[in-house]
Amino acid sequence: MPISTARLPLRAIAVCAGALLALYFLPAALSDYWLRALISVTALTVASLSVSLLFAQLGMVSLAQYGLLGVGGWFALRISHGLGVPFELALLTGGIAAALVGLVIGLPALRMRGLYLAIVTLMMAGAIQVLISAFGFPDGGSGILGKSTGTRMMMARPLLAQNDEAYLRYAIVIAGLCYLLVLAHVRGRPGRAWAMIRRSEVCALAGGVDITAYKVRAFALSGFLAGIAGGLLAGGVGQLDASAFPASQSIMLFALTIVGGAYSWLGPIVAGLLLRAFPALLNDFRIDGNIATMIFGLGLLHALITAPRGVAGQLADLVRTVRRLVGGKRKAES
Amino acid sequence: MIEIDDVTVQFGGVLGLNALTANLAEPVTGLVGPNGAGKTTLINVLSGFVQPTKGRVRVDGRDLKDIPIRKRAAFGLRRTFQNEQIVENLTAGDNVAAVLDNVPTDGQPRRLLIDKALDFVGLLARRDTPGRDLNAYQRRMLEIARATAGLPRLIMMDEPGAGLAQHESEHLRDVIKAIHGYCGAQVLLVDHDVDLISATCTATLVLDFGSPIAYGPTPNVLADPKVRAAYLGVLEEDAT
Ligand SMILES: Nc1ncnc2c1ncn2[C@@H]1O[C@H](COP(=O)(O)OP(=O)(O)O)[C@@H](O)[C@H]1O
Ligand SMILES: [Mg+2]
Repeated sequence: MPISTARLPLRAIAVCAGALLALYFLPAALSDYWLRALISVTALTVASLSVSLLFAQLGMVSLAQYGLLGVGGWFALRISHGLGVPFELALLTGGIAAALVGLVIGLPALRMRGLYLAIVTLMMAGAIQVLISAFGFPDGGSGILGKSTGTRMMMARPLLAQNDEAYLRYAIVIAGLCYLLVLAHVRGRPGRAWAMIRRSEVCALAGGVDITAYKVRAFALSGFLAGIAGGLLAGGVGQLDASAFPASQSIMLFALTIVGGAYSWLGPIVAGLLLRAFPALLNDFRIDGNIATMIFGLGLLHALITAPRGVAGQLADLVRTVRRLVGGKRKAES
Repeated sequence: MIEIDDVTVQFGGVLGLNALTANLAEPVTGLVGPNGAGKTTLINVLSGFVQPTKGRVRVDGRDLKDIPIRKRAAFGLRRTFQNEQIVENLTAGDNVAAVLDNVPTDGQPRRLLIDKALDFVGLLARRDTPGRDLNAYQRRMLEIARATAGLPRLIMMDEPGAGLAQHESEHLRDVIKAIHGYCGAQVLLVDHDVDLISATCTATLVLDFGSPIAYGPTPNVLADPKVRAAYLGVLEEDAT
């Protein structure tokens, strides 16, 4: 299970309280540069959550998820500029549009898996890349495509979160809601059906699981999350760059989700940090951000060979070791 | 009531079942035969994983051709597998819940049904244990619990006794004996353990090369010279 099914202990409430305080105070302490980096980190955490959902629940590799960020971003921008609706509605529209496209991308998954599915989804990511670079993102112009010829307009931010500081908090709350949405699925009927399918198709069929319906549902939910991530990104920057959604980014997103740890709730956060905060950190030290790609490659190799549960899994092991050491010391003292 | 009418299953050149005709009406029916005789194939036909090349199968009067695979569990066709198929990432309780999600429950509270099914096989204390922490015996019992939850009609068990210790097979035998009274389902039991078959099954069907070589009350069938010949040393050994 990507998310542990233990009951909520009192400790969790303390953690929540701590998180709320951090949510309030941390953004205020950050520089503009880091505020913007962390807004992207938050959006990419949701993107990685969408990848880990498919991988951890069904063992399916989709290499189209970053493309779906683009789809979500496109529709969110179009609706926001075209109809002037509140940000939330634009975000939701982006999510639903990406869910529908994600559903179509998932159709081959009904017939294939493993490498073949990865290749087919990567081709879809390529198709999305072509469409996006041909038509670009809406920026307040007229017509179906919403492209302006003059100055590019910025997407309207949520009423509650006009400045970067507030928007970071807003994005974190949305990401939290996305986690809850996934949690509700994983712990409920869909999660049980996915677990049966993952065990084996005969196991699922013997248990009466409608395999097609639940696979489609996983792809739609995963697409929805990617779309939300795209919308958050669009709201953060104000506009999206047509060259920022190449198919290769989808591979990167998948790889870093594995490095982060697809089976843990912490994994997508690690992946988000690696995707944006890590290059930003290198930049702070005036090191070429492209070096990050090389380091990611090594990280992936490391994850595949020695740490199938990713960085999150290693962190969990570390915590356990430290706890054992500390506990052992206590026992020795008494 | 299982009505098998002239069923042939062909895997390329291999015959899994060869023009098999049989009416199995006893509440607990044994299905025995040497390896490769077609026992698992017959269970697969009933659960829909294998389409018969020829012939038809009815359960309680319904032609199974009209019931797609994924609706068969809800219709009441349940099974356990020769290679155990419990979900390691779900707790024992959730393993049962995963099946209850897709079958009729008679309006009873799910929690109650889960506890009842686990209690029936003696796993109630393990309800919150993840599948991966169950031993081989508990896994088989959990498969049986999954099969008994939510109004089953026919429970097919594929070699549930294989590799169990003495006291475990005794418990298994008691559970199998109790199934029909517990949930009203007919039981079709495949096993190589002749003691288990004679202790639980009122009637037994013997297959060899996909064809029936004997059917009738279990003691008569097991005493049949043809059956002893097909089983070669297996039964001889058992008799001594
Ligand atoms: N999916 C399959 N493909 C090809 N041959 C099969 C398949 N399933 C079973 N068989 C063959 O059908 C025959 C009956 O197999 P099976 O029903 O598994 O026997 P058993 O009585 O041991 O359970 C065997 O010869 C087996 O090799
Ligand atoms: Mg078999």
